[in-house]
Amino acid sequence: MAAALAGTALLTGCGDSASGSGSAKAELSVHSAYIPQPVSDSMAAGFLTIENKGGAADRLTSVTSADAGEVTVHETVDGAMKEAGPLTVPAHGRLVLKSGGDHLMFDKLKRTLQQGQTVTVELHFAKSGGLKVEMPVKEATYHHTTGH
Amino acid sequence: MRNKTFVAAALLAAATMPLSACGSGDDPKRPVAVVSEDTSQKAATLLDKPFEKPDLVLTDTHGKKYDLRKETAGHPTLVYFGYTHCPDVCPLTLSNIAVAMKDLPKAERDELRVVFVTTDPARDTPAELGKWLKGIDAEFIGLTGDFDTIQAGARTLGISIEPTAKDKNGKLVSYHGTQVVAFSPKTDAGYVLYGEDATVDDYTKDLPELVKGENP
Repeated sequence: MAAALAGTALLTGCGDSASGSGSAKAELSVHSAYIPQPVSDSMAAGFLTIENKGGAADRLTSVTSADAGEVTVHETVDGAMKEAGPLTVPAHGRLVLKSGGDHLMFDKLKRTLQQGQTVTVELHFAKSGGLKVEMPVKEATYHHTTGH
Repeated sequence: MRNKTFVAAALLAAATMPLSACGSGDDPKRPVAVVSEDTSQKAATLLDKPFEKPDLVLTDTHGKKYDLRKETAGHPTLVYFGYTHCPDVCPLTLSNIAVAMKDLPKAERDELRVVFVTTDPARDTPAELGKWLKGIDAEFIGLTGDFDTIQAGARTLGISIEPTAKDKNGKLVSYHGTQVVAFSPKTDAGYVLYGEDATVDDYTKDLPELVKGENP
């Protein structure tokens, strides 16, 4: 509940900057999604980039997948992983979940993930609703280089 | 600082700003800038003042006593501190090393010791650790034991870890080291560090030197 209220306040606060610069709605798309083949048979990490071409920010509030009992967004701070609060996808910006930083954490996996498979994930946003993403399982050492 | 307009070309740095500008209360501890990129393209950091190998006597994945100094004396050795309930950096770091090692001639590969010391000994029992490491490389050595001993050993390498603790949702949070330390077979000293962004290619390039105790 508190999170939902904070979310509303946030969007109002940021909405000022968005008005007048094109669409006042978030326009979200996802790319560079992958899951490195996990070592564990119960847990995996996932990475992706959410682009927002629209003029309003949105927030990633939760993630679900039929293949995992639980999916959470984690952030890595000083070598420890913590569950992150809802993450903002800024207007005309992007939210990057990448190795060593923020990532999706799949817990209680319902099947063993092998390279070549795909995992369907649904991202839930405060304003834009749900967005389905197919995440390919890559080799354990897969390294997606994000350009500068 | 207030960020009034978001330009279309906003890159990563700009993308993190709305979190501090608008993310009231959610995320006060998120660092504004997390990227401290080395300007050189080398993954290895050569130490002016090498580390002594920590005097760690722990338990290996077979439940046997393992004296790190004694067992790895004269061997090129990579030491990394992490935990098995770590989905991202820990398995990636060890997998990178495992893949890179395959390019070494067998004789050199047999000399190399890769030692994974758990930072979460309560969950990482010898059996758990053994099962997990087998999924990466069965030759890797996994050590567990008393947390205080592990923490003190890590500290001598400049690696800071905290005990596993529960977060506000009751979930266990553990810590991993952010560096792999390479010890020379000639001096047994830790003379090269690798950060967690070191790739398979970085290790593949450097391992032939490391196994000889030479500078990468």
